Amino acid sequence: MTQWMPSIFWISIGTYVAIQAYLLGLGSFHQPGPGFIFFLAALILTFLSVIDLIATFIARSEEKEERIWFGVQWERVLLVLGVLSAYVFFWNVLGFPISTFLLMIFLFKGIEPTRWWIALVAGFITTLTAYYIFKVWLAIPFPRGFLGV
Amino acid sequence: MEILQNLFAGFSIAFVAVNLFYCFTGVLIGTLIGVLPGIGPVATMSLLLPVTYKMDPIQAIIVLAGIYYGAMYGGSTTSILVNIPGEAASVVTCLEGYKMAQKGRAGPALGIAAFGSLIGGCFSLIGLMLLAPTLASFALRIGPPEFFSFLCTGLTVVIYLTSGSIIRALMMAALGIILGCIGQDPESGSFRFVFGFHHLLSGIDLVPFIMGLFGISEVFLNIEKRLQKRTIYEGDIKDLLPNLQDWKGSIKPILRGSILGFLVGILPGGGPVISSFASYAMEKKVSKHPEKFGSGAIEGVAGPETANNAATGGSFIPLFTLGIPSNVVMALLLGALVIHGVTPGPLLMQQNPKIFWSVVASMFIGNGMLLVLNLPLIWIWVQVLKVPYRILFPLILLFCLVGAYSVNNSNFDVALMLLFGVLGYLMRKFKYDAAPMVLAFVLGPMFENSLRQSLLLSDGSFGIFFTRPVAAVGMVAAILMLLSSVIPFIRKKRRRILEEEAVDGGIGKIN
Repeated sequence: MTQWMPSIFWISIGTYVAIQAYLLGLGSFHQPGPGFIFFLAALILTFLSVIDLIATFIARSEEKEERIWFGVQWERVLLVLGVLSAYVFFWNVLGFPISTFLLMIFLFKGIEPTRWWIALVAGFITTLTAYYIFKVWLAIPFPRGFLGV
Repeated sequence: MEILQNLFAGFSIAFVAVNLFYCFTGVLIGTLIGVLPGIGPVATMSLLLPVTYKMDPIQAIIVLAGIYYGAMYGGSTTSILVNIPGEAASVVTCLEGYKMAQKGRAGPALGIAAFGSLIGGCFSLIGLMLLAPTLASFALRIGPPEFFSFLCTGLTVVIYLTSGSIIRALMMAALGIILGCIGQDPESGSFRFVFGFHHLLSGIDLVPFIMGLFGISEVFLNIEKRLQKRTIYEGDIKDLLPNLQDWKGSIKPILRGSILGFLVGILPGGGPVISSFASYAMEKKVSKHPEKFGSGAIEGVAGPETANNAATGGSFIPLFTLGIPSNVVMALLLGALVIHGVTPGPLLMQQNPKIFWSVVASMFIGNGMLLVLNLPLIWIWVQVLKVPYRILFPLILLFCLVGAYSVNNSNFDVALMLLFGVLGYLMRKFKYDAAPMVLAFVLGPMFENSLRQSLLLSDGSFGIFFTRPVAAVGMVAAILMLLSSVIPFIRKKRRRILEEEAVDGGIGKIN
């Protein structure tokens, strides 16, 4: 992803919000409508994004583009994001303790090299502690899952 | 006299066993996360915000405030012993503190940091007690146009002081207002940008928003590269009580740091980070031996560590008197108060004096607790520093997931948090500052209401912001600040200061 892409993204967001805000109703200066503040903010966002885009192009011609992705193992980030999403998706089925235990083992073992027994013990202790703090003590109604716990 | 009576009443509440427990818990957690690099007070406070739902408002604010000022104490330990700032306000402490540790003077560095923090903290609390009631009575006389202009000024200062491009900071503020106003329109009742999700009818919740932007994105940023092992100071930590020579060198920086920190803390956009940098720069300038700076000058530890703690007390003033948060942490506290049904602002001291005075009293007690936690018990924090990040980040993620879920017991909030986590990560990569966005998010509804009310009052004329004197001062200040950022001379100077901060801030690497 290059430096100018965020500006394009913000221009798109700003334009979309401005159109939707207009449809919501801008009202008048005497009696601002529900879309008034959104329209105003979206105009500012779009206008500044255009300036930012121009500034990015000027800067690119003047100096070497900064390599923000150099050395980044973004697959690690994607992997964690995917696993966190899966955790939320599956905890309705598996319930809080089992899904948390599996998540913890993955996070302790899957990202950085750790011995299996450490990952298992740490996962177990974390899950047990979290269960007692959040479910028993704070009474947060987590999904019970197929085991009903 | 009335102030003393109120303060005693506050102490009588703060000394109740359960409140003492919450005060201790707050400062303990604050020190812990201050010591641990990779998690800051904002992320922790948002993580623990759902936990405070079951407490009464006084206890909730006591805990959250304790985390805030406790983190300022803890941050210095990591800076001095590991050369990695535990949190942003302790960045400058690395410069002199670590050098002192390398010379075998870790003890005096830790000692003077703790004593300076105590003095700065207490000084700012006295300032808070004296100034807040007066300012609150003044604030009662202001109307929507003045309030709108204060909001503009506060937001502009945060934008001006952003570490990157002002244009991008303004963009993020605009986005923050958009996100903050999502939900049902308070006047017409129409639904705005809810996309059919009933979860969004009352707007985006503060907790998943901040947890995503700060907690999740911080973890993503740390794990995107292989984690490195941090090197910890291995020598003995002795002589924690500074000697007479140390005190002679530190007393003036501590006094200057107290005043400077408090004043910077009051300013919109000010806070511990800016005050610590300002104090370091001031000490270097007034020192008779500026050449000693960079090689372990105790003044460079005493001043900034005092200033960052003094700023915490100062930053409560705009929140308690005007209901306007001066930085992201205060925005979070504002959210917490509102969740507990308390509206911060000029009426707080009349309607809920107990909250104000008991929180102030608990902060005095908390500062005392922190001195004990950070000096005789320093060995505990040295052990904590040895916890590797690969053990820490799964716990942070679990806390984020559970915290976001517990707000409304809904998976929607968790998904929203992950979305903001990705957004926050990309924003950091592309150098978009999240602070203006968070502040604008919290201020968004107030911004909209005061703008609408002002326009109704003026029959649609924007002139109302310039014809009423107090409003005009705020608006002119905001406009001048924005204009000054495009004047080449000032722009260059601002960029140079920010570059210096960036160089100073580039010490060590969070792992």
